[in-house]
This record gives sequence, C-alpha cells and structure tokens, in this order.
Amino acid sequence: MKVDLKHILLPFVGFVLGLFVLMLLVYFYNSMPIFHREGLDIYLKNVWKAPEEPSREHYGVLAAIWGSIYTSVIAILITLPLSLAYSVFVVDYAPKRIKTWLIILSDVMAGLPTIIYGIWGVFVLVPLLKKIVMQPLHDHLSFLPLFSYPPITGFSYLSAGILLGIMVTPFASAIIREAYQMIPFTYREAIYSLGATRLEATKILLGYVKPAIYSGIILAFGRAIGETAAVSLVIGNTFNLSLALFAPGYTISSLIANQFGNAFIYEYMTSALFAAGLVLFAIGLVVNLAGIYLLRRWEANVRL
Amino acid sequence: MSGYNVRKLKEKLFLFLIGALTVLMFFPLFHIIYSVFKNGIHVILNRGATFITGTLSDGGIGPAIIGTFILVFLASLIGLPVAFLVGIYAYEYPESTLGKATKSLLQIMLEFPTILVGVFVMQILVVPMGTYSALAGALALAIIMMPYVAVYTHEAMRQIPFAYREAAFSLGLTRVKAVFRVLVPMAKRGILTGVLIGIAKVAGETAPLLFTVGGSYQTYQIGITKPVGAIPLLIYTLIQSPAKEYHEMAWGASLILLLIFLGIFIPVRLSLREVKL
Amino acid sequence: MIELVLETKDLKVYYGKNMVIKDVNLKVPKNVVFALMGPSGCGKSTMLRTFNRLLELNSEARVEGEVRIFGRNIYAPDVDPIEVRREVGMVFQYPNPFPHLTIYDNVAIGLKLNRLVRSKEELDKRVKWALKKAALWDEVKDRLDDYPSNLSGGQRQRLVIARTLAMKPKILLMDEPTANIDPVGTKKIEELLFELKKEYTIILVTHSPAQAARVSDYVAFLYLGELIEVGPTKRVFENPEHELTEQYVTGALG
Repeated sequence: MKVDLKHILLPFVGFVLGLFVLMLLVYFYNSMPIFHREGLDIYLKNVWKAPEEPSREHYGVLAAIWGSIYTSVIAILITLPLSLAYSVFVVDYAPKRIKTWLIILSDVMAGLPTIIYGIWGVFVLVPLLKKIVMQPLHDHLSFLPLFSYPPITGFSYLSAGILLGIMVTPFASAIIREAYQMIPFTYREAIYSLGATRLEATKILLGYVKPAIYSGIILAFGRAIGETAAVSLVIGNTFNLSLALFAPGYTISSLIANQFGNAFIYEYMTSALFAAGLVLFAIGLVVNLAGIYLLRRWEANVRL
Repeated sequence: MSGYNVRKLKEKLFLFLIGALTVLMFFPLFHIIYSVFKNGIHVILNRGATFITGTLSDGGIGPAIIGTFILVFLASLIGLPVAFLVGIYAYEYPESTLGKATKSLLQIMLEFPTILVGVFVMQILVVPMGTYSALAGALALAIIMMPYVAVYTHEAMRQIPFAYREAAFSLGLTRVKAVFRVLVPMAKRGILTGVLIGIAKVAGETAPLLFTVGGSYQTYQIGITKPVGAIPLLIYTLIQSPAKEYHEMAWGASLILLLIFLGIFIPVRLSLREVKL
Repeated sequence: MIELVLETKDLKVYYGKNMVIKDVNLKVPKNVVFALMGPSGCGKSTMLRTFNRLLELNSEARVEGEVRIFGRNIYAPDVDPIEVRREVGMVFQYPNPFPHLTIYDNVAIGLKLNRLVRSKEELDKRVKWALKKAALWDEVKDRLDDYPSNLSGGQRQRLVIARTLAMKPKILLMDEPTANIDPVGTKKIEELLFELKKEYTIILVTHSPAQAARVSDYVAFLYLGELIEVGPTKRVFENPEHELTEQYVTGALG
C-alpha cells in the first residue's frame, strides 16, 4: 500500500493528544481518594491537618484556590494599564528604531526564566515593598482590612501579585499590541478628520479592539495562575484566607511545590494535592480556551 | 477658549501617562538584569573557574550546568521530531476535525501550568521507576517545548506563498515529497527559530523539574535513569536555604542562567526580523 | 482525422455553491497553441487547473464532467492525479522558481524526486537540454549554481518553463505566463512558444486578446464561466460569430 502523508503524521498527532488525555486522567484518578474522603469540601474548606494517624487527616485547599485567584487578580490589575499604555505607545508614538526594540524587550520579558524573576523578587522586590509600601500603609491605615495584616517578612499576596503582574504584562501586551496595530489606517484617518484629540482617538481605537484586550487579559490571568517558581518564593506559603494584602498565603501551584515533597508520608495528602492540581488544570483549560476563542471569533468577524 | 485649554491639558497629561507607564513596564526588566549582574559578578569573580566547574561542596555549580545541557538535549531529542510533525499536520490538514483539535490543543499547552506537567511525569515515570531521573525531567521539558516548536513550524509553513505549493504539486510530486522535500526546506528558517525559542524557554524552567529530576549537585555522575541537577532548580533550592553563602551562589548561578538565556534568545529574536519570504 | 490531445465533456466546476465553469466542451488538437481568453474572473485559470487536477489543492472546488487526455478521462476514479501531473506541465502567472534552490537544482528537482533519471550524467544532460529548449541555456550556462533571485523576471519564467520541460510532458499549460514580465521578456517567451509547439501542445490562458491574436492557432473565448465561442484564431478575430466575442476582441468589453 502506498505510504500517504497522513499515515506518517497521524501516530505523532495521536501521541500528543493521548499524552494530554492521559495527563487529565492521572489527575482525576489520583484525586479520587480525597474526593471519597472529603467530598467537595476539599475545595470548600481551609484546613490542613496532617497527623500521624491517617484517619485524622483532614484537608481543604480553599486557601490555595483563594490565593491563586487573589494574586492573579492583583496581577491583571497591574497588567491592564501597563499593557494598554505600552501598546498605544509602541504603535502610535514610538519612532521606528525604538519600536522594534520595545517589542524585542517585551518578548525577552515574556521568555525570561521565571526563577530569575523569583530571585529578584525575594531579595530585591519584597524588602523594597515592605519598607516603602507595606510598613507605612500598615502603620497609618491598618484600620482598613486591606492593610490590616502586619508585614513581618513582606512575603504576601501583594508581593506575589505585583511580581506576577510584572511577569505577565508582556503576554497581554503582545496580543493587544498586535490587534491595535492591525486597525486599518483609514479608520484612524477618519477619527482624526472628525477633530478628535489624541486621547479621544485612542479611546475609540481601543474600543475597536476590545475583544483582543479581553483576550490578552484573560490569557495573562491564565499565565499568572499557573506560575509556580517565582510565586512560591514570595507568597509566604501559609494557610490563610484573607483579603489583607500584606498577609502571606498559598496558591495552588505553590502549595503543590511546597508540600508535594513530603506528601508521600501521609496517606491522603498526595491525593489532596492532586485534587488541587485538578482545579488548576480546569482553570488553566477554561481560561486558555476562553482567551483563544474570544480572539479567534473577533478575528473572523471584524478583521478584514 | 478655556474649553480648548482643558482639552490640551488633558492631551498632554495623556501623552505623559502613556510614556510613563511604558517606562514603568520595562523598569523591572532593567533592574532585574542590573541586580543579577551586580550580585552575581562578585561570586563568579571571587571563585573564578571553580564556580563553573566545581561541585557544590567546592562552591561551584558545575553539575547543574551540565545537567541543564543534558536535560535540554534529551528534551529536544524527544520533543523536536514529534512537535515538528504535529506542526506539519496542523498545516496540511487544517480543515479536518483532528487538525482543528490539534491547533486548539497546541494553543492551550502553550502557557499551561508547568507544575502540572512535572507532577504528571512524576506520576508516570518517577513513581514506577522508583527514582528521579534525567529521563523524567527531559520528558517534562519536552512536553513544554513541543507547543512552541509545533506552532512555529505551522506558522512558518503557512507563510510560504501558495504559488510555490502549486509549483511543487504541478511537478507531479506526491504529497509526502512535495511537503518534506520542497516546502519544508523553504520554511526552515522559521522552524529553526521555533526550535531555538523552545530550547531557550525550557532551559530556564524550574517547576517541571521539581519532582522529576531530584537535583544532584555533588557529583558529576551522569545517567539517563539517574537523578540530575539543573541551574534553575539549583537556584530555587539555594534561595530557600538559610545560608548567606548559598544566596550568593544563587545570584551567581542566576547570572550564568541569564547569560545563557540572552545568548540564545536575543540573536534568535533579532534574526526573526529578517525572515520575510 | 485530427488527433485530440485534450477534450472536455460538459465540464463543470463549483466553488462551494457557485458554479464557476458551466458545461464547457472543448477540443484541443495536437501541436498547436490553444488560447483561452476572456475578461478577468471568468474562470480561465480555474479551468486550466482542471487539466492537471491541480484544482484539488483548493478544498472548496468541486469538478463534474470529463476531461480526456489522449482519450482517457483523468477524472475517472481509478486515475492517480499525481500521474496526471507528471504528464502535464504548468507555468504560472508569477514566475515561481524555488528561491532556495540553484538554477540547476530548480530544473533537476522534478526529475530527482520522481526518480525519472538514473545517473548524474543523465541528469546533467537533461538539465542542459531543458534549459536549451527554454532558450535560457546561453544566459545561465556559466552560473548554474547561482540562485533565481539574480535573474530577471523573464529569465525566471523561462527557468520555470525549463523546470517543466525537463519532465518531458505532453501538454504544457500556461496561466498568463507573461502577465508579470516586461515587454522584452514577453517577446522572448512568445517567440519560444512558436518553437515549442512543434513538439508540444500548449494551452495558454491570457488576459490580453492581442496576445491571443499574436501567438495562438486556436482560441476559445470564455465569459463568466461559459464557452461563448471557439475556433481558429484568424477566423474568431476577423469574423466573430457571437456579439460578445466581437465586443471583447475590439476592446469594448473589459
């Protein structure tokens, strides 16, 4: 039988798809024990008891889920203004040479090994934040719940959120910048010919690419929530369920990174961690799909 | 009149804000590079070549450097062929359900939480094998590398003008030959870029190695089924130790890692500008 | 009895739901230059691509009816399109020699990959022969390992012709081959056609009625996918039977 291109390629495609499915199955399978034991409480409670007797083990990863979401939200609050400003600046105002370099630098930031962000975060960012931001705010405004936790080490939701924000901004920037760049020149001409100021024109043009902005932010969120190395170094790795910005906490990824090493000693801890991973898996999947779907739908409908 | 002045003021404020925020976005990058250089160069200068060749007990990160190279090499061995062929499939059969599913999957995996990949590989390789291994780490890195290479391959092939596709087929070539002997060579620049970017990315990954490679820094014993170290993982471990000396080493290792990363990434990224078929 | 090299029977082509070629019946005799002319967008290029089944590269296109080459319907279910393409050569609107191959390799690639020659000497001979037949040999014989990017547009197109001729096809399909070539290059290629038709049958799509009048023996006029008129070139131009034809050849139609 003649060898067709498909025959050569299909096994590899099958392998890749199979690997992904296998990964999903592994997470489901290993979460089963804790589901049987705790039910949905594994996600709804904040508790982490690991005594010697298996029958008294009790886990709930709500603190980690909360931490992941809270820090990622802080991150995208930072990302939004920065990536918008960057996109507008690069496309509308930057001279040609600087433009190329700004794009390259953004890509460098996106690809930079996260552990380097981490080491800078631990030894530079956190002490700085503690001294300049957290301590003063706590000293003067601790009656506000946001600032109520005393910043002892500086490892906190805020530190993690800011570090994440710095790390994921280039991701959102790339998407928004590209979309903003693709707006047909005639559209820009039309807006200015109506007598709009630069501010007004920019607002209108950004409105034109709103779905791309949403997509960029969603994808940045997904990136932030999946980050492990840098976050686990600056978040403090403590079981907390708090809105206080200066309190230490956990994220799902840092929980896994922190606890998995000794989890095998206990009967149910590994399963609990797999269950936490399953949530992260689901969030990662949903977020990425949503972001891509939004972008593709906008490209198909609006772009020429 | 005064309405116009207000508009003008808003305009100036706006322009200032745009510029300031852009600077703010990149300020951390420069500060990071500056910090890594400032703190790392001490250690390297003080310890000289031992830093790069010695084991941990000698105050060096040699095994980690070798480990990183081994892991990246093995990961490429596993991941590159698969990724390349999957990328070709997505290009050749874009309309088929499998083709569309593949494209979506690749996009999803592009920024998938890497810790999940590491734990997965641990479960299917480390646990049955009973030991941490370079193989496990390489597999985890390969899984992370694949979407990059596949997507770049796909895009590079898509950039080939349709006229060349017609020309190749009009010569009566089979699909296999037309794709692999004529079209792929035309896209090789773009494909190579994807490969290098994938390599640069996985060389700097930490999370997937946490539970797969074990981290071996005292010896130079090398084996696929033996534990191995890596620079990012070593940095991660060193930061968390209380010893100040280890923190210094962490900065030194970070500098080495930064240089490796920039050394691959910047030339590749610069060459991308010239690729226009 | 004129030998028919190519014949179409009720040829229809659909793009999705649109019928772009409507029941065309054409007879192409041997060793002539047969022109397909008509305003742009009327389906000439599409129809040309049914003759070597290259239309299949477009997933939205559907073909009904028959295309017979030397009596055999190439759309019969047991026919391999790849075999068809080895016997029918094609030259395109934009000269498309492979930019990453040398001049020599461009001509050789069809032969090499289809294993049509058995030795390096045979390959060298064939390449030289093809380049001579395409009237390009004298201009490139000293730089066979140079790249097409250093050739003029007209030279590149002749390189494409050489690439096609190397395969020794029976039929040459040309899709507006001089549309993107300067007048000097165009003249050279048109002169080449007079030589080539002695050994080959050439089907030429052109957007210029003047070119059809200059180079072809037979001409078919296509309008919006329908075959309006066909016949010996002299007759069609001097005594068009159909009103649309007359409008087109006199330039009244766009």
